[in-house]
Amino acid sequence: MPILEVQNLTKKFGGLTATQEVSMTVEKSSITAVIGPNGAGKTTFFNMITGIYQPTSGIILLENEKINGLKPHDVSKAGISRTFQNIRLFNQMSVLENVLVGMHTHLKAGLLGILFNLPVIRKEEKEAEMHAYHLLDYVGLADLLNEKATNLSYGAQRRLEIARALAANPKVLLLDEPAAGMNPKETKDLTELIHRMRQEFNLTVILIEHDMKLVMEISEHIVVLDHGVKIAEGKPEDIRNNPKVIEAYLGSGAVQAG
Amino acid sequence: MKKIWKKYEHNKLAHGIFLLIYIGVTSLSLYLAQKSVTAFLLLLSSLLLLYYTKFTNLTKWLVAGIVLVFLLPFTASHGDAYQSYMEVSTLVGIYIAMALGLNIVVGMAGLLDLGFVAFFAVGAYTYSIFASSQASHFMPFGTFPLSGESFWIFIVIGCLVAALFGILLGIPVLRVKGDYLAIVTLGFGEIIRIIFNNLDRPVNITNGAMGIPSVTPPRLFGIDFLYPSQFYFIVLVILLITIFTVRRFEHSKIGRSWKAVRENEIAAQSMGIPLVRTKLLAFAIGASFSGMMGVVFAAKQAFVDPTSFTLLESFTILVMVVLGGMGSVPGVILGASVMTILNLQVLSELTNWLNQLSLSGIISIPYALSPAKMQRLIFGAILITFALYRPQGLIPAKNRRFDEKELQRLNRKAISENKKIEQKGV
Amino acid sequence: MLNEIIQTIPQVLIDGLTLGTVYAVIALGYTMVYGILELINFAHGEIFMTGAFIGTTLLLLFTGIGWISALPAIVMLLTVLIITAVLTGLLGMGIERLAYRPLRHAPRLIPLITAIGISFVLQDIVRFIAELSKGSYIVTGPNLFTNQLLLKTSSISSIFNDASIKASFVIVLVTAVVMMIGLDIFVNRTKWGMAMRAVAQDRETASLMTVNVNKVIAITFFIGSALGGATGVLFAVQYGTIDPYIGFILGLKAFTAAVLGGIGNIRGAMLGGLLLGVLEMFASANLTLLTGGVFGAEYKDVFAFAILITVLLFKPEGLLGKPATEKV
Repeated sequence: MPILEVQNLTKKFGGLTATQEVSMTVEKSSITAVIGPNGAGKTTFFNMITGIYQPTSGIILLENEKINGLKPHDVSKAGISRTFQNIRLFNQMSVLENVLVGMHTHLKAGLLGILFNLPVIRKEEKEAEMHAYHLLDYVGLADLLNEKATNLSYGAQRRLEIARALAANPKVLLLDEPAAGMNPKETKDLTELIHRMRQEFNLTVILIEHDMKLVMEISEHIVVLDHGVKIAEGKPEDIRNNPKVIEAYLGSGAVQAG
Repeated sequence: MKKIWKKYEHNKLAHGIFLLIYIGVTSLSLYLAQKSVTAFLLLLSSLLLLYYTKFTNLTKWLVAGIVLVFLLPFTASHGDAYQSYMEVSTLVGIYIAMALGLNIVVGMAGLLDLGFVAFFAVGAYTYSIFASSQASHFMPFGTFPLSGESFWIFIVIGCLVAALFGILLGIPVLRVKGDYLAIVTLGFGEIIRIIFNNLDRPVNITNGAMGIPSVTPPRLFGIDFLYPSQFYFIVLVILLITIFTVRRFEHSKIGRSWKAVRENEIAAQSMGIPLVRTKLLAFAIGASFSGMMGVVFAAKQAFVDPTSFTLLESFTILVMVVLGGMGSVPGVILGASVMTILNLQVLSELTNWLNQLSLSGIISIPYALSPAKMQRLIFGAILITFALYRPQGLIPAKNRRFDEKELQRLNRKAISENKKIEQKGV
Repeated sequence: MLNEIIQTIPQVLIDGLTLGTVYAVIALGYTMVYGILELINFAHGEIFMTGAFIGTTLLLLFTGIGWISALPAIVMLLTVLIITAVLTGLLGMGIERLAYRPLRHAPRLIPLITAIGISFVLQDIVRFIAELSKGSYIVTGPNLFTNQLLLKTSSISSIFNDASIKASFVIVLVTAVVMMIGLDIFVNRTKWGMAMRAVAQDRETASLMTVNVNKVIAITFFIGSALGGATGVLFAVQYGTIDPYIGFILGLKAFTAAVLGGIGNIRGAMLGGLLLGVLEMFASANLTLLTGGVFGAEYKDVFAFAILITVLLFKPEGLLGKPATEKV
């Protein structure tokens, strides 16, 4: 059953076309990778799904409900959560607070409840803290809970972004280059983490990644973008041998020579 | 020497004894030397010492309460300077509340508002118009001025009206990106002042540049509040409420969403935080503190005119926040106290002293150099120095510390319970 | 009513253009700095004010020692303009070096705060010096170029009234136009102008292309501030009386002009300045008439801010700017 459907998504910045008529279908609880050379329009594609950019034309459906036109916070509420290519943590806040912010939409506290410190609110806060701690434990950052986010190592910051995204309890998780800047050991741990997450939270994962080893190992479905156009899609083994893909990555001479 | 200090640092009893002696000595000297501003200031700074002791929060609040409610008014009350001390303390309180309001906007939500005094003006005018004969110029019904008992309701009204203004200004302003916000709020602050300055026609609402005189003093159980020593207690109560409110918000879902917006707007949005609504809330709550204190200010002065609400006032409050530490509640309280006292006491005392010296011919200080006129230079220097060398302010903002051990224990418990359930299920 | 408005149009245009050229040249300083650093240089209005004071002091000095009789006034004015421009230019460079450069990687709020601080310090230093030497901070310069010309606009068509022009208006206008053309040539035709545009586009890439970014920024501040300071002199000559607080509101309006034209766009700033000047004069002449006496000329500042807010809300890129999207 498809959970996310994208139909003919086009985005133009002035005269520049970032993506053109991109369509794809994502199955529930699958892991899909979006790959392509730099400037292929992958991040723009993510930004449209999460409501940060409005598409010039096209439709985005989450569980058959149209979500394009929604503001980013409403997209998040609808069940799509993401991480960022150029890490965007709340730097001066503590690690645990970062995760708590991720839970924003699920906390019911209102103005008066907070003002009068009602028992319901206190209980909710306590539970939220516990859940946040649990998620930190899950990504292996529990012992850093009181540290400022900015003080974390690069790899730890990437994992914190994942924990924060999970805190929103999403149906679909978008990971924008989660392994960028990680060493092989960290990448291996990340692969494992993504697998675990999908299983435990029954999560649908879409990721942008340049690390082909990770992509081939982890994804069930791959979509290839080049210059804003979808040039191929299919199972990892199909993509690996697709001449168009090889051409996009290595230049037009590569296929003939090979 | 170091050893003794180490020992002292961790000894609560020693802290307590030292603090008691300090409070005792300073209050006694104020009691005996009524004219000594130094004694007055030293007694006030006992609260800063108190902040750095290792007592529980409850103890700290109790001690602060005793000092502010009993000790300070009592020891200062035996001389001619009584009302002027109370006047200063009252104004310190008013400015602290405003600075706490601005701190929500600038410090927590990261929105540079340079027209903050507008909300103070809104509060002040709200009360003055109805508590003087001014309202009879345009109100078709009712008799004005309203009685002094209405003051208490007007505190709430002032709070709400200012919040409403915050929202009304915020709706257009907050859609503006980043740095522009500073300019636009600055513009709005001026617009409001110009409007108050000219709204004596076509309908006379604010009496224009003449201001509104003879504002009715507050009245409670038949007693009129006329003196600063009485207003002091009103301010103290409102201040207490604002501090508690800020504290509550700071560590709640709302406070976190403010900080998240400050740290990274795009990430905050993607985590489900509605940008405009969150900023509006910061604007409204910040404004409401100012509005309340505006009402009190108008009642205390018994007169308002637009000159009390200039740009310089907005900047003064900003300096308080930057000096104390953006986002830090204790910092901002300290910053506001220091700046108000500097403005009202230190600079004028210094000027008097220098004048006396010039009069007696010891030195000659040109009039242009008198410290009371150097406000801008001092404000500017503080802003530059702190922005460059200590952007976190006197008392930096701290994140809440979560109890790691407790959370760890609860987490383990939860995991083992889950496992049991799973095993049973199997 | 329409008749009355049309009658005053020649005078409104002349007054508006005078004010507008002042806004335009100051707006250049804001726009250049914003284009390159994305920083609102709050202190720019104060640089203008300092320029006005330096210029007035020099003029008073020169007239005092009798140069006025020995030299034609216009030569004296040019000398003063150049000296003031160099001094305020150096002041601007100094401010950048001291207060902005160390904060280039700080959160965005922080340099704004130092900028406000610098403004205050400049205001007070100028006030202090003026008061110390003159006894009052309100200073009146020597009367130069005071001949009134009557422009017979009524002879074009009888629906217009005549307009009067101060001789200084012509000088202000010509000098300002020369400065703007000079800047335009500098930015578009010279090596340093090109470097400036490169840094404004992409600071990192420019530095990889061996552009000395710090030097370019310093030059930008020098030119912007020199122009601002020189405009201060023109302002003092045109309006006669100055005080240390003229820079703030005037700066704010010049910033409005920069936004109106499209911030970061030099020609936009010129257009925005002229437009705002004319609009403001029009408002102050006709607001009473248009609103039936409800709002008077005292609302002209409100009018200027209203323009700023409207532009920011509905066309934040301004008249000549390009819309920007934030990189995610």
